[in-house]
Amino acid sequence: MSIVPIITFKAGICDVDQSSKPYKIKPDPKPGYVYLYSEDELIHFCWRARDVPLDQPELDLVMVPTDGHFVPYNTRNPAEPSSKTNGRIFVLKFTSSSQRHLFWLQSKPQGIHGDPAWFSPRDLKIGEIVDSLLQGDEVNVTRELASVRGESNDDGDNRRDADDDETMEDVEGHGDPSDHHEGGTGGAGAGATGGDFRNEGEDAREGGADGARAASSDAAAVVRNFLDSLKGTPGLGAKGQGQGKAYPLLNDLLDTTIAIPMLDAASDEYVDNLLAFLPPAVLVLAQQGDTGDATDAEPSAESVKSAREAMSSGEKRTLLKKVLRSPQFTQSLTSLTMALRDGGLPSISEALGIAVANGGLVRGGAVSLGGGDAVEAFVDGVKRTVQKQQSAYV
Amino acid sequence: MSGGWNTIESDAGVFTYLLDNLGVKNVQFEELLSLDPDALAQLHPVYGVIFLFKFPTDAPYQAGEKPLDGTFDNDASEHLFFAAQTIQNACGTQALLSVLLNKTDPSAGDDAGFVDVGDALRDFREFTMVLPPEFRGEALSNSELIRDVHNSFAKSSPFVDETQRQSGEAEDAFHFIAYTPIGGTLYELDGLQPAPISHGPCAQDEFPVKVMDVLQRRIARYDATEIRFNLLAMVRDLRIRAREIGDSELLAREQRKRSDWRFENALRRHNFVGFAGEVLKGVVAAKLKEGGPAYDKWIDQAKEKMQKRIEERKKSSGGGGGGDDVDMEG
Repeated sequence: MSIVPIITFKAGICDVDQSSKPYKIKPDPKPGYVYLYSEDELIHFCWRARDVPLDQPELDLVMVPTDGHFVPYNTRNPAEPSSKTNGRIFVLKFTSSSQRHLFWLQSKPQGIHGDPAWFSPRDLKIGEIVDSLLQGDEVNVTRELASVRGESNDDGDNRRDADDDETMEDVEGHGDPSDHHEGGTGGAGAGATGGDFRNEGEDAREGGADGARAASSDAAAVVRNFLDSLKGTPGLGAKGQGQGKAYPLLNDLLDTTIAIPMLDAASDEYVDNLLAFLPPAVLVLAQQGDTGDATDAEPSAESVKSAREAMSSGEKRTLLKKVLRSPQFTQSLTSLTMALRDGGLPSISEALGIAVANGGLVRGGAVSLGGGDAVEAFVDGVKRTVQKQQSAYV
Repeated sequence: MSGGWNTIESDAGVFTYLLDNLGVKNVQFEELLSLDPDALAQLHPVYGVIFLFKFPTDAPYQAGEKPLDGTFDNDASEHLFFAAQTIQNACGTQALLSVLLNKTDPSAGDDAGFVDVGDALRDFREFTMVLPPEFRGEALSNSELIRDVHNSFAKSSPFVDETQRQSGEAEDAFHFIAYTPIGGTLYELDGLQPAPISHGPCAQDEFPVKVMDVLQRRIARYDATEIRFNLLAMVRDLRIRAREIGDSELLAREQRKRSDWRFENALRRHNFVGFAGEVLKGVVAAKLKEGGPAYDKWIDQAKEKMQKRIEERKKSSGGGGGGDDVDMEG
């Protein structure tokens, strides 16, 4: 019988000494591999020593989808300072039992200060891939791994030195389970960028983006592409549910009782800035009034400019309030909230230039925040951005 | 890939500019708020009406051998444009076209019989009239031009309908059907029916009264509390008559309406992400500037709003499965 692993990486077993609390975790030095393969639709989670053949693993667990999780074992938890280990540890745990298996990564650590317990993006990605496979998800392992190659990180500069042959060999993704070749170095090569959906998909629908709107069309395209990628997914929005706390929708935070008074009290500078994020046709229409028998073609840059210049501050505010009250704006807030809840936080916050905690990922993990937590993280990120801007004027 | 069709709103401004963008001349839509034939007659020339309704999907839709009212006219499809509906989301546009593409004969006489539909739609009609109704529907779903124009009016939130679906209630279906007089007969054109339905002879000037009769009977068949409907008349551009009779008030009103429609359509096409980000920044900045507990109070008040909404929804849906929607808690 030929086993075709879906992913393989260098890892050792950890023994857990339960004779005293906190439990002591002792890495077994024997070099080995963790690997996963699929048989009869079920995933097998296996560990073998490196000199042992594929079909004789010391550990072969048949995993029921969603029962298992493979996550970093967080040794930096301040509640247990004495449990800091000297390696990168992952734990395989089960919802159906309290059984746990711990493994330590045997690839070269990449922490800049020689911190052996630091998980590099690639380390986290491995964990994420395994965790996804255990949920029963389809994962293109090759592509996922390629997406963290060449990725810079805080400890980045030294990483290039550390990225030697050993690092390339220590994880192999056999992306397509039906692909029968074993061995080789796997991966898609240094130049692969992975599937960054921001580079795919159409441009924003509005034509004639002027400078101030370029950023918003970019962000708009990110969100639209993200939403499109979710279309047709059954149980849309289900991913975000059950996660984290109850947190209001953007609609609740920005309804007219909040947004209109804010606009009334805002500076002319803010008003002008906000105006730039409206479709140009709307400015021209507002300024022209009812005289238009005009066409629906995008107005020229000059007509937009002259419309803006002709509008008084009061007229601009009236226009903005009309937009804030519109059902189209309300719908867009719903849409954006859903996108955040469904894992869009990292890309949306990046597209808008808002720094969010942990890059929008779950702390200690490599999956996007979802549900109410994601919306909260987004609002917190905006708060920090604003605070930074406000202090700059001191 | 034949491409997807997004949902569009049943709105006079959406439909008017949808046709405009397809090259149709001098047609607009007007929402009718009642089944009063005079209100419809005032809008002459009237090409037809579009009737939109929601109905629960647990009841069978198709009548079977006979329609519930009127008679199937199986031969009619030979000489009139009738297409079977193939895609749910396209049904609004399909209903519009089923009226429009039956008004293309310049010799039809009085001005309610002819519309200049523009070259693209004329070609489409010519191409599809030789096909049987099922294939006309396919041709419609595959038409890139029509689909692209349709989608350009799509709702900005693809999630609005999804959240309904998650509530676990039986999904309500939207359906659009058209009524129009063709060659002296009142026809009901419904893409889910096997053939056009005839409601008997009907001259152009009898249309308002006769169609309202039919609609009254139809609505009476539904439980009054269950039926939610929308009625739009497809008429000639009202500004033309205003100019002809020199009614400057009417003209001004219609110009303003057009302006409002274009404004709304521009917002519909717009993606608000950048704008929303700036509004959020503005509110956050204002709350921080206020200082003290203002920021936290703002968040707490928003939480209360959400809670209230969840409770109201639970009450109205009678509890049970109504909780799994966008307001779901952790």
